Amino acid sequence: MPTIRFLTSECAVQFPDGDDVNMLRVAIRNDCGVPYKCASGNCGTDRVLVTEGAEHLSPPRKRERDRLGDLLDQGWRLACQVYASGDCAVQWDPEQKPLDANAVDKSLPNSVDDRIKQKWLSKKDTE
Amino acid sequence: MSQDTSAKLLNKDEFRAALEDAIKGREAKNASFSMAWANGDLKREHFARWAENHYHYVGPFADYLGYIYANTPDHATDAKDFLLQNMYEEELSDVRHTDLLMRFAEACGTTQERVMDPKNMNAVTRGLQGWCYAVAMREHFTVATAALVVGLESQVPSIYRKQLPPLIEKYGFTEEEVEFFDLHITSDEVHGERGYQIVLDYADTPELQQRCLDIVRAGAEMRFSYTKALYDNYVAPDLVGA
Repeated sequence: MPTIRFLTSECAVQFPDGDDVNMLRVAIRNDCGVPYKCASGNCGTDRVLVTEGAEHLSPPRKRERDRLGDLLDQGWRLACQVYASGDCAVQWDPEQKPLDANAVDKSLPNSVDDRIKQKWLSKKDTE
Repeated sequence: MSQDTSAKLLNKDEFRAALEDAIKGREAKNASFSMAWANGDLKREHFARWAENHYHYVGPFADYLGYIYANTPDHATDAKDFLLQNMYEEELSDVRHTDLLMRFAEACGTTQERVMDPKNMNAVTRGLQGWCYAVAMREHFTVATAALVVGLESQVPSIYRKQLPPLIEKYGFTEEEVEFFDLHITSDEVHGERGYQIVLDYADTPELQQRCLDIVRAGAEMRFSYTKALYDNYVAPDLVGA
């Protein structure tokens, strides 16, 4: 069976022969730790450097080309936009942020999550 | 809806497989309108009618999620966060999703006024919209998430992956005009996956699991019927005497 290797988190996920699978969906389902925000190719938070198996990935469509530009030629892809049909390996910076300031402004700020937790969780829950 | 009261609590792998099975055989990608779409048999006016119906199903999606949010208890924080994030992504984080639908509709020759006018949807679409509102307002948040996210939204990538290439290659639309489909192929992969996780985590009794399975089956049937009705209402009449 083909395998996606998420090198940064040392996670490897197999999928059935003949399938093609969305890379970010696989990462979320298997807790592989790829950072993401919008999941629609806008912010670029989920960019990954493909170190092996680029030929087994779906060709980039408009949103990915628009967001990555020259980074595509350097081997970067957006995990949310990519479908894998064979073995491949990717890595990323665990601390990476969205690709530009506009995207940052349009993404849900992390502070919202903290505010929601403060509002809805009791002190006991958060300790 | 049938309920199997003798059911046992399934583990997460069994439950996920059962949820996926509940959709099988009812996938909207196999309905007559989807097949005609993928085969290159439609005309732009058929896509215009599709847009005039689809707007009334997906336009209120954040509203449906808002009702589920209100029914979700405080302790289910990750479920509340998921719903909030999903609503935000539908409306604000990127281009508003219905704006992209409107762009496609106008490329098909219809107008914003026609798309927004509820008189232009057929009766089955009206039924689907009503079902979505009813489920969101009345069902347990886990069951409603199963219905709308697993049963309906998680099907979107497989439908649009089949329908996007012919829009460009056979029907001659530009990438810009069909961005609605491109966006949903990927965003609904993630929404669908997170929806599965909520349902797997919070359907923690045999009864709740069974209700989720029943409603996923019903949701898939609703979407299949909606898609088939588009063919019956707008495409089949064009074929009479052709």
